[in-house]
Amino acid sequence: MIRGVSVRPNVGRRGVMDASIAEAVRGTNFSPLDWGIVGVYLAASLLIGFLGRRYIRNMADFIGAGRAVGTRLGIATMTGTEMGLITVMYSAQKGFTGGFAAFHIALFAGLVAFLVGVTGFIVVRLRELRVLTIPEFYERRFGRRTRILGGIMLAFGGILNMGLFLKVGSMFIVGITGLSEHGWALPTVMTVLLVLVLVYTVLGGMVSVIVTDYVQFVVLSVGLLLATGMAIADLGWRPIVDVVLAEKGAAGFDPLAEGGGFGWDYVMWMAFLGLVNCALWPTAVARALAMRSVHELKRQYRWSSISFMIRHLVPYFWGICAFVFVMRHAPDLREAFFPAEEGAPALDNLYAMPIYLGRLLPAGLIGILTAAMVAAFMSTHDSYLLCWSSVIVQDVVDPLCGHRLSTPRRIFWTRTCIVLIGLYILYWGLVYHGQDDIWDYMAVTGAIYFSGAFALLVGGLYVKRASSAGAVMALCAGSMAVLGLGPVQAMLGLEEGISGAKVGLMTIASTTLAMFLGSVLFPDPPQTQTPMKGAPTS
Amino acid sequence: MNFWITFWTILFFAAVAVFAGMSVWVTIGGWKDIRDLFRDLDREHKQDEEGGS
Repeated sequence: MIRGVSVRPNVGRRGVMDASIAEAVRGTNFSPLDWGIVGVYLAASLLIGFLGRRYIRNMADFIGAGRAVGTRLGIATMTGTEMGLITVMYSAQKGFTGGFAAFHIALFAGLVAFLVGVTGFIVVRLRELRVLTIPEFYERRFGRRTRILGGIMLAFGGILNMGLFLKVGSMFIVGITGLSEHGWALPTVMTVLLVLVLVYTVLGGMVSVIVTDYVQFVVLSVGLLLATGMAIADLGWRPIVDVVLAEKGAAGFDPLAEGGGFGWDYVMWMAFLGLVNCALWPTAVARALAMRSVHELKRQYRWSSISFMIRHLVPYFWGICAFVFVMRHAPDLREAFFPAEEGAPALDNLYAMPIYLGRLLPAGLIGILTAAMVAAFMSTHDSYLLCWSSVIVQDVVDPLCGHRLSTPRRIFWTRTCIVLIGLYILYWGLVYHGQDDIWDYMAVTGAIYFSGAFALLVGGLYVKRASSAGAVMALCAGSMAVLGLGPVQAMLGLEEGISGAKVGLMTIASTTLAMFLGSVLFPDPPQTQTPMKGAPTS
Repeated sequence: MNFWITFWTILFFAAVAVFAGMSVWVTIGGWKDIRDLFRDLDREHKQDEEGGS
């Protein structure tokens, strides 16, 4: 049995590629042909950015594509946005460490998105209100101060959340192409990719983002399906199952098995995250709000549930294949990832999947897969940049200016924020060498926003008596998610540590309770209750 | 244990098969949606210009 493998990688350790890993990465089949494929793809993305510019006339066009997106395009853009390279990397790692038991996360992600598509929970009411961002709903329902506070927390948590995306994504590309991480390669890849994303996002806004998402969906689908088919052909399904059974036992299949890395609290947390990812996370909600009609929105969610499942399922499977490859076909890698010597440092298992794919795929195909991963990388970055910058302008700056910002000024400031956030993630990726656990870091920074948003959206949309005091209290209660960070727990003397799942569930309970108590103790005066009607916004 | 092995096997292959079919549908239909999107935006902008003039 393999035990003691770190599920959560350490940023500091990952930042320095071990010499033996660098050697393993050099075994990649990446060729000049593959560089050509990736180059053509990047040039096409840039061209689309320029072409998208002529369709931008107002803020609804820039951040909502004029609310004119059809179902199939909506599915493509939802998939392109939510299947980021960072998701692929961490999901592969989860498959590597957790085996088939990790599939439960994918199951919940798909199931919850499908249920949202059937019921329209949260997203349909938001679309009917014709808001452009979630904090805009906060203002209509709870007043301006709630919008500003919610916007600040959303932007703060969101920008922190994406702080390491650029570096981790670039590490995959540097690794699979065989470039050494040392010296110029990593910062060059980071800078080039960032500049490309900034150019087409700043120029074309949501129109460019959606069209490039479509191209990215096509490339991603081809890459995912081909690589998965080749992995099964290479290792065989039954041998994969047998190796996982032999090495991990029941814990490799049963998410509730004792001794596994999951358990009830983790499974419950993942079920909630399924809802967060499709109905609360602003980039996904932005896709819902850009749809042409409620009917098409619900159809988009029902079909996108497949994508929400696949975006985890396929990378988990790649991670499982990498595990089987390492354990049975690559003794050098087995020693590197699972050193026999007690106390010897193990190589970061985050590299297992790209190394395996680099050795599995032939020239040409590896170029398509890399283009697919570049697609995943860029489609996530463009959407996140657009989303957080529009929140800053629409939900913080504009309300603070008394909603007097003209459309050209809003677009100008949104573009400025896109560039500033881009510079921040480049800076953060280049200089950050902290010891934080990335998985916890991302979950915690995300929870700062979404735990409060859950209470506000459910309360605001479905509970008549939900008050603005309750909303502010719930938003503030969401900040207790920082207790999930290791350094914060250490600072508070929590030697044993509390799992991120437990902290997350407690935060959700706290925000819900805060909303309830605030609404009961400090109800809104009847005359200040604002009727919410669907009205177009600028 | 056999239950979980069978369950995950069926889930995986069913999801991949549906995703493959959906990819073809979205690739073809998405192209049409892009043309509709540009047409709608153009029409909307023309209406705005006519209304403003």
